[in-house]
Amino acid sequence: MTRTRKPGVSRRATLAMMGAGAVTFATPWMARAQAKTIKVGMPTILSGRVAQLGTSSRNAVMLEIEKVNAAGGLAGRQIEMVIRDSKGQPQEAARVARELVNTDGCEILIDAEASSGAFAVHEVARDLGVLCIHTNSETSALTADPKQHIPNAFRTARQGVHDSIVGGSYAAAIAKAKGLKKWATCSPDYAYGRDTTGEYVTYLKRFAPDVEIISESWPKLFQPDYTEVVTKILQAKPQALYSCLWGGDLTSYIDQANIYALFSQMEVFAVNMADYTALTVVKNLPKGIHSGNRYIKTYPATPENAAWGDAYKAKYNEYPTNWSWENATAIMLLAEASKKANSADGKKIAEALRGLKIKSPFGADGTVTMRAEDQTLVGYAIGWGTTIPQEPYVPQVQAGDWKTIFELEAEWKKSKGYT
Amino acid sequence: MTELQAEQAAVVPRIESQSQRSRYIDVLIALAAFAVLAILPMLTGSKALLDFVIRCSAFGLFATSLNLLVGFTGLVSFGHGMFFGLGAYGFGLIMQRTGLPVPVAFVATLVITTLIAAVIGAICVRLKEIYFAFVTLAFQMLIHSTILSWVSLTGGDQGLRGGIPRPAFFGIDLSNHVHLYITSCALLVIGLLLMRQIAQSPFGYTLRMIRDNATRASFIGIDVWRAKLTIFVLAALFASTGGIIMALFVSGAYPEFAYWTISGEGIFINMLGGVTTFLGPMVGTVLLLILNDTVTRLTEYYGIVLGIVILFFAIGLRKGLMDFVVEWYARRRDGSGK
Repeated sequence: MTRTRKPGVSRRATLAMMGAGAVTFATPWMARAQAKTIKVGMPTILSGRVAQLGTSSRNAVMLEIEKVNAAGGLAGRQIEMVIRDSKGQPQEAARVARELVNTDGCEILIDAEASSGAFAVHEVARDLGVLCIHTNSETSALTADPKQHIPNAFRTARQGVHDSIVGGSYAAAIAKAKGLKKWATCSPDYAYGRDTTGEYVTYLKRFAPDVEIISESWPKLFQPDYTEVVTKILQAKPQALYSCLWGGDLTSYIDQANIYALFSQMEVFAVNMADYTALTVVKNLPKGIHSGNRYIKTYPATPENAAWGDAYKAKYNEYPTNWSWENATAIMLLAEASKKANSADGKKIAEALRGLKIKSPFGADGTVTMRAEDQTLVGYAIGWGTTIPQEPYVPQVQAGDWKTIFELEAEWKKSKGYT
Repeated sequence: MTELQAEQAAVVPRIESQSQRSRYIDVLIALAAFAVLAILPMLTGSKALLDFVIRCSAFGLFATSLNLLVGFTGLVSFGHGMFFGLGAYGFGLIMQRTGLPVPVAFVATLVITTLIAAVIGAICVRLKEIYFAFVTLAFQMLIHSTILSWVSLTGGDQGLRGGIPRPAFFGIDLSNHVHLYITSCALLVIGLLLMRQIAQSPFGYTLRMIRDNATRASFIGIDVWRAKLTIFVLAALFASTGGIIMALFVSGAYPEFAYWTISGEGIFINMLGGVTTFLGPMVGTVLLLILNDTVTRLTEYYGIVLGIVILFFAIGLRKGLMDFVVEWYARRRDGSGK
């Protein structure tokens, strides 16, 4: 059998492909930092189930960076953001973070990773000594545990324990007023769900000692069908239900529980309800669900906050998320600290960040503070309210009291052996 | 002695000396490869390149060990990632909790892996094809769920936090980037060499026979179950070593290391690189990591690009890259010989 042309790829094509391969392979290592601009690296989650949150982090950062650059940048150096997808995998988060610093020449890291990814990036920051601001991980141990502490890492996210204290005291007040004694819980079956629920119940019982948990449900994360969970709760006949389901899980749960008219039979406390990602997606948002604020432009009810939410909406045609304000806060603090230190140097900025108090649309009293002792954000707006089916969704939010939070947080730290 | 037997007797030493020679060649290649890798840090100051090679070592050992099962024995394991995770967690936990020297922790991790792999393997290798694949997957999910729910030991879905301590041993300090790099390269080269020896040994040929016709193998007196179990445990050891390298690289261990996506990545690497040649998975690893690193820096639609590449290999080439290259080379040689 004869053939005029041999099957497969020609030698020339192979050489061309190898050449192209070599070029793509080598370019990352040839890229070098420009001296004039300052590069800020940001690993975050831009693909998969929580991509929406990662994107909203990026949006918020870009919104703030524009302002900072227009005002002259960090000590005269324009900021250039380098944002990469970690796909939510910790080993990728670590790799991307290392690459951002070692190859792309980033001098500061904004770690917009959730959960385990944040701890992976934390180790990179420990290893490389680069200034790192965690913006999304709410796991208390990240900053509360002294073993985790490094001088160059900060956090501008809320903290799980703060949420539990405020949520517990709010729920206890309502439990006492309405005589809610029999409670059920329904939270996702992983560390966040179990820890948050556990802490919430602890504080609820502390403020309202006669509360009793009569039913617990632990649906899997990203579970599509909640029928059995809903019927189990209905059969237990509790007077109140607590849930820390979030995002798509929470909206599916509400849509399915609506069919069984669950919300008319008990008081529901869902900490993650008051976030636009959930509020705008639920088909028939029931009236009167109690929720903690995640991000909502009407709380704090200040013109600054409303303006910020509207500016974001105008630019990206959607409302900001909980991750948005946390990331925006990181950039605001960074700019302010750089101004105070009159430098773009990571070490000097870190020094200036400790204890820094800035004006913020997201502050409970118009300011937020980077607490010096554990380098985490305090004083942010935190409160609970009830939902209505249309905008502004949560018209009245009852503010949490930071004095109580500090007292109970100190006690909690002691009980964990952190202090 | 019949004529046939006499002929065979003469052939055997020749084959043996040949295999001896090829073994020396393998060792020489390995030494040369190690030498090239070892002088790399002196040639370039690029830390990212060193990071790249460290990750290649971790995934390369993992993927090549998977190929011992998939390509050489015909055992398509969907749960091989559990041993990767086991290595990372075993090593990380031992270092964090006991403060043993690194080599002791390394060996202890391998011992733990051996025990667990022997138990899981004893159950799995009785099954064939899809049943084997699914039971391995089930065990993987079991281990993954255990890691998630045993929070007091493993830290749950936050992973092992606080970094992995790494006291210096024999003058090697693994917190030094170059030392970690050289150690990873050494582990990779030694691992590949050992796996090559396994693949080329009579035992390796027994595995190929089991892959091609297990019934025939058992008829000529081979204990198929034992052979499969042995390779299952051996492959687990190398995967575990890959996990240890990864744990050292990220200075922690995370439940994602034991999730099925890692196993899937291993299968994908094998598809990419090819399963009929020994170095196919290694080539696949390098390809996948380059793809990953370049595509993620250009676009967030990483999945689409990767999907197209899979389609190209699965439908276009219908084999892995190394398979394709080897066949293409053979065809060219035959063509020019005529």
